[in-house]
Amino acid sequence: MKNLKLTKGLIALSSAALIAAFTVAVPTVARAADKCEETIVFFGIQVVDVEKCTGTDDNKSKYEIMMPAKFNGTLMVYSHGIRYNVNLPKIPVVAPNGSLIDYSPAVSPSDEVTSALLAQGFALAGAGVQTQGWNLEEGVEAALQVLTIARDKYSKINKVVTWGNSLGGLTSQALAEQYSGAVDAALPMCIADSAQAEITMAGDFLWGMKSLFNPAIKGSGYSAGQAGYVEMLTDLGTVLTTFQALQAALAANITAPAWPSTSTAPAALKALPVRSAILLLGLMAGVPTQSPDYDASSGPAGASETSFGLVISPALAVLQNGAEAAVLAVIANYDMEVRYGGVVFDNSTTNYVARVSEELDQYAAALTGRNSALAVLGYLGLLPKVKADPAAVAKMNSAYQLQGKIEVPTITLSATADHITPAGAAQYLKNQYDAAVANGVAKSGKLLNIWNKPDDAYTEFSSAGAPVAQTVKPNGTGHCNYTTSQILAVAKLIASAAKTGKLPSNRAVQAAIKNEPNLFVDPNFAPPLLKFRQ
Amino acid sequence: MIRNKSMKRATLASAIVATSAMVLSIVPAQANSTGVTATSIKLGVSTPLTGSAGLVYGKVPGAMRAYFDYINANGGVNGRKISLVIRDDKYLPTLAATQTTNLILKDKVFALVGALGTATHSKAYTAAALAKNNVPDLFINTGFSGFANKTKYPTTFMVLPTYNMEAKVMAKVIKDNFPGQATFMIAQDDEFGADGVAGFTTAGHKFTATPTLYPQGTMTAARAEGALTALGAVPGKPVLVLFGTTDVTATLLKAAEKLELTKKFTFLAGSVGADANTLLALGVKPTTIDGVISASFLPDAKDLTDPYVKQFIDINTRYNQGVTFDNYVLAGMNSAMLTVQALRAAGKNLTRAGLMSAIEAKGSTFASAGLVPLGYSATSRVGYNGYWVSQLNAQGEGKPYGGKLVIYTTDSGAGAVEISTFVRPTMPKNGIPTNS
Repeated sequence: MKNLKLTKGLIALSSAALIAAFTVAVPTVARAADKCEETIVFFGIQVVDVEKCTGTDDNKSKYEIMMPAKFNGTLMVYSHGIRYNVNLPKIPVVAPNGSLIDYSPAVSPSDEVTSALLAQGFALAGAGVQTQGWNLEEGVEAALQVLTIARDKYSKINKVVTWGNSLGGLTSQALAEQYSGAVDAALPMCIADSAQAEITMAGDFLWGMKSLFNPAIKGSGYSAGQAGYVEMLTDLGTVLTTFQALQAALAANITAPAWPSTSTAPAALKALPVRSAILLLGLMAGVPTQSPDYDASSGPAGASETSFGLVISPALAVLQNGAEAAVLAVIANYDMEVRYGGVVFDNSTTNYVARVSEELDQYAAALTGRNSALAVLGYLGLLPKVKADPAAVAKMNSAYQLQGKIEVPTITLSATADHITPAGAAQYLKNQYDAAVANGVAKSGKLLNIWNKPDDAYTEFSSAGAPVAQTVKPNGTGHCNYTTSQILAVAKLIASAAKTGKLPSNRAVQAAIKNEPNLFVDPNFAPPLLKFRQ
Repeated sequence: MIRNKSMKRATLASAIVATSAMVLSIVPAQANSTGVTATSIKLGVSTPLTGSAGLVYGKVPGAMRAYFDYINANGGVNGRKISLVIRDDKYLPTLAATQTTNLILKDKVFALVGALGTATHSKAYTAAALAKNNVPDLFINTGFSGFANKTKYPTTFMVLPTYNMEAKVMAKVIKDNFPGQATFMIAQDDEFGADGVAGFTTAGHKFTATPTLYPQGTMTAARAEGALTALGAVPGKPVLVLFGTTDVTATLLKAAEKLELTKKFTFLAGSVGADANTLLALGVKPTTIDGVISASFLPDAKDLTDPYVKQFIDINTRYNQGVTFDNYVLAGMNSAMLTVQALRAAGKNLTRAGLMSAIEAKGSTFASAGLVPLGYSATSRVGYNGYWVSQLNAQGEGKPYGGKLVIYTTDSGAGAVEISTFVRPTMPKNGIPTNS
């Protein structure tokens, strides 16, 4: 944040003054587009004429603006999700070809969505934030700058929607709350919770893996400089090999898989099938028990039809979700420690037993019994915990925290089995908003939550009864795994809201999602909050 | 787009009315009658129909539907026909959450009735936001005492007595009939078993050894044989309490057969795990079940002298064709009869809140096959408040233990187990309630 060239000092103002200042005196000095060109975009057989402008803003963030020739008056400013803030060498699974930090601008979640929205007449804009990793503040600033640049260039823009995916969803919501006069509606999709809530989920899982399966995992407390970078890379490798060992154990004996050889847990605990420990870790951290391949609801025909869904599938789901989440956790945690100057994950006062008290009963069979799970938790309770650096945590939390002070129509889209940004993050926003309304600091009727769920059952089995890996992630599982038609449906709703200043009617919402069986609206649906919030 | 704030305020006031109207259209009213029309009432149940649990419990929803069909054929409830949407959850918590959510959001049922299973229903209750949606959650088929917590489950009405109560009654039976004998307990390692262990503890009963707890699905024949072999060395005729599901009871009894220990123990099986038909179907010998002591709150399904049983058999024959009448069919029809009375008691202007209030106010007076009293009140969501103790014979019939029907009542707390003089309400004529 310190390195940002702030837009006329807006950030330094108090929130209330900020809105007033922004609405009456937004500077028009933001840089003009560096380069504009006429281009065409194909949407099916439709050819869309577009003016595409690219450049860099005052903070060196690259931006892109796409203005269709047949403009409908609404600009959608997109904030992308978290990206690695480190270059990675070739690492199997994580970066098979190596990867460089991606600073490219993004105007929507996908090319398909981009072309579809342009064909509908929406102008699109977005940035590639100049600082990657957990960049909430820079992301808000980048979105504001590209918004301003677009408005300066195109006076025909009447309405502005801020939207984004994952951390970008949080960015768009933070922008809307802090600068409600700057936008007409907000669409945070798969919204992330705060840095502390997200890193707690990631850190809990990593700490559990380290404690139960492989003490070589560092997980937190990376050294400064190049040494820390090497430690982070080493951790990635260690985490991956640990997952591979767990997967191999499950492949060898799915009913009673053995613990990895790297585990230093007592022999009595290792008598349990390791799948139960995997599941327990997932429950402790709040990792969903449904994943792309495992629905916790299906079993192969025959003797294990019930037992597979009951005792095996939830653990396999946590393993699949956890493998992806843990990699991101290592990189994100390293990034945050560098960014905030110390350890930010803290479980020194976490009561894991209390956290999972209800789930111990609901998953008793899969946990190999309530008492077995309590034994594992008892062992974990004896192990050293991680204590964060208070200054680093304070710095992390000095970033804007969602207040629920929603003044423009806002629609969230969140999936119940998203393992990176669980639906509980959207529920937290809803809770904040409800509290803000109750306290008279926000007006009712401004927030609509749309939920995305997987099909009732989707795990597939071979003729031999073995689970089969899905070629395409089932909708409702995975991270921000929405279909184009789902995104377009909610985009249409938020665009309408931007125009009217009101959320669409219940009838309009139902009509918009009637062909989307995995989307639903229920004002009373309340997915569990992230564990940090519970 | 970057508007003058005063302009924004100017438009705000005029928008408030419209916004309020929109909110009302999105948020359903609490005093709602979702699933009710002038001619129909739609109910729903998530329960196992397939998989291993479906083999045992799969008859329950069909029996409920059969009874509702019978009522519908006789005019319905206040002119409304009852339909029952049945969704299969295979006894899986995640699927139960999904199916219960489907019942609320897709099927738009008025109320749930007869949901089965503790882990399944506790997960489903939260996932489907039954409390926030104010959905009546009637006559659930689990005895987990946690469901009696009205704060946590404000719309739930149990029908089974709690496992805690059952354990307390069992403790009294042991104390009164088997003084001096060693006692052991084998129980499922979850809230079901924990409830039972807690009940024995509350009753002051101390087992000879710490109860053996096994995770659901792990009681293999080898494990059962190992457990019984160890206990077989205990002098005398130990009392062995089996607090698990019927398939586990069968596994343990068959292990006893293999080890020739069937007469070594006095088996005291919990109500969940002592259905004679199922035990026989799972291969337990009739001679083995002969003498097994259990507890129940309903009459035995084979007791043809019982007017409720006779009536339900008649309905089953006509509306549930091809399905053998047994304890599960009896339980399903009994819950359906309670449901019909609850709907009647709620009156013609049927609302979710009204239905729950009616059960609180009048539920304890409903006619039912139960041989023990119903305990519904403004403060209690527990259904039956006790047990009678039965003993199976080789024909699979449950007869009063000791030759005389004794009804025990108690609570889930520290209250004593008492002998009750309860006389159940007379069977409504032709099994058709007329209450109001």
